[in-house]
Amino acid sequence: MKITLLYGTETGNAEMLADDIQAELEEAHEVACENLEDFAPTDFEPGCFYLLVCSTYGDGDLPASAQPFAAAMAAETPDLNGIHFAIFGLGDREYETFAQGSEKLAALLASHGATQLGDRVVHDASGDDLAEDLAFPWAQAMVELAEEKLSQAA
Amino acid sequence: MTGQIAIIGTGPSGCYLAQALLKAQPELQVDLIDQLPVPYGLVRYGVAPDHQGSKGVIRQFARLFERQGARFFGNLTVNDQLSLDDLRAAYDVVVLAAGLSGDRRLGVPGEGLSGVFGAGRLVWAINDHPDAMALPDLGAHPVIMGNGNVAIDLLRLLAKTPSELDGSDVGASVGDWLANSGIESLEIIGRSSAEQAKFDPVMVKELAKLTGVSIEVIGAAATSDDPAAARKLAALAEINGHGSGPRRITFRFGLTPVAIKGDDRANAVHFRTETGDDQIIPCSAFVTAIGFQDQGRLDRETLLAQAEDIQVGKLAAGLYATGWFRRGPQGTIPENRGDAQALAKRILADLAPMSDKQGAALFASHPDLVTYADWQIMDAHEISAPPAGRCRHKIKTRAEMLALGKASKELL
Repeated sequence: MKITLLYGTETGNAEMLADDIQAELEEAHEVACENLEDFAPTDFEPGCFYLLVCSTYGDGDLPASAQPFAAAMAAETPDLNGIHFAIFGLGDREYETFAQGSEKLAALLASHGATQLGDRVVHDASGDDLAEDLAFPWAQAMVELAEEKLSQAA
Repeated sequence: MTGQIAIIGTGPSGCYLAQALLKAQPELQVDLIDQLPVPYGLVRYGVAPDHQGSKGVIRQFARLFERQGARFFGNLTVNDQLSLDDLRAAYDVVVLAAGLSGDRRLGVPGEGLSGVFGAGRLVWAINDHPDAMALPDLGAHPVIMGNGNVAIDLLRLLAKTPSELDGSDVGASVGDWLANSGIESLEIIGRSSAEQAKFDPVMVKELAKLTGVSIEVIGAAATSDDPAAARKLAALAEINGHGSGPRRITFRFGLTPVAIKGDDRANAVHFRTETGDDQIIPCSAFVTAIGFQDQGRLDRETLLAQAEDIQVGKLAAGLYATGWFRRGPQGTIPENRGDAQALAKRILADLAPMSDKQGAALFASHPDLVTYADWQIMDAHEISAPPAGRCRHKIKTRAEMLALGKASKELL
């Protein structure tokens, strides 16, 4: 299956995780990995499954590299019906705005008609788990789910 | 492309620069030099010990040394054990990412009294920095001058109850010092008005989690037309009146310090209000958290004054600067990442590697040089058996750090 990882990052942690997920999935799939700041709303393709990795910054805001994408979505109002995505969030439970960046990004895609597969999974930087220990099984499960859904759609 | 690049400083700026260089050109030899025997600079010794999530960037930086071929040379002080000129002669490129470690001075009478402390020195002591002063007696009523994130970090740590430090890497003696501080009140004072304060709103909101305090905010406007200012004011309004604990926290704004009073020890600070009135605030210690400055070893002022392109950080042929060392003490970790990424592009555009550069051979015979493998031994030691409620037990002295590194070599 064709997969594109999109990451929104501020300190680089989400970028590193997206790179690692790409390496993990690459053996069995065709996987691209792009920074959201280099991705335009018109780049979405219905035949591709999108895995998003997004941190949170400041006061529960989207991270810097997701902000130009959010602005472009607002300006271009693309129709994302038929686009499937799943999303993984990075956050820090020390703050009350825990993982709101990924929540906002998921809502943004859904508001333009895209379909979210699975629940948003979130890693807590102040917790004991490593992000990849949550993210690798999540990515595998989401890809399996997408294989079912996208073949039904086709 | 080959080429040898030395980066002075292994804090976020130096590490992000190495990352950006190696991502673009994996064949480069990138050597990171630090005057401490341990890497990561302010991530280890500046980011607050109860903000472990923010220290997560270390996992990115570790990858530089573990997978990307960068080398760590610790316990090596440039312009002490070797000169900057010699280093420039040995490398194609040298980058100054040494940060700013000195406390900026307030410049008022009485600053030399005992009981007056720069925030940087206090942060070092709280973080078990090997060059830190002994933990000072702050008395029952410390006053903090400054409205940046460093001031808020200190306020929060001094206000915390022992159980609120669970999960941190606060050391045993620091934990005892905090638990027995006897602090009854903490005042935090800004020279400017609340809407111009430099702290991040999320740092202020975090104070609403403190269980042992009661918070009062005096003299903040209700709202502002400027969205950034409005968020700060909203955060202050949110914490105003928080809690009924015994430790009183008071925020005050618009107070310019005029003089620090006291016979041998500071016992009050004389301020001028925005309307020109005098206001005396008693204190048992006065902590100035008003920014950082260069400590002089790398002659920053001269280098910056002669810089070829200060905007991107090119000082001269083959010599560059990034992070706080270039910009001054503003901006958090992500801003230093952006700075480093922009500089990496410029360095790669300029780079013309010479084959006769000796690189790390210049200092490889230095007796107490610390490598990344040595640091891994120290790191494993620190996290192997931390005390209850702590994620790490930091090694406190250079001697212990070096001894652990040496012991690891003797085992081989």
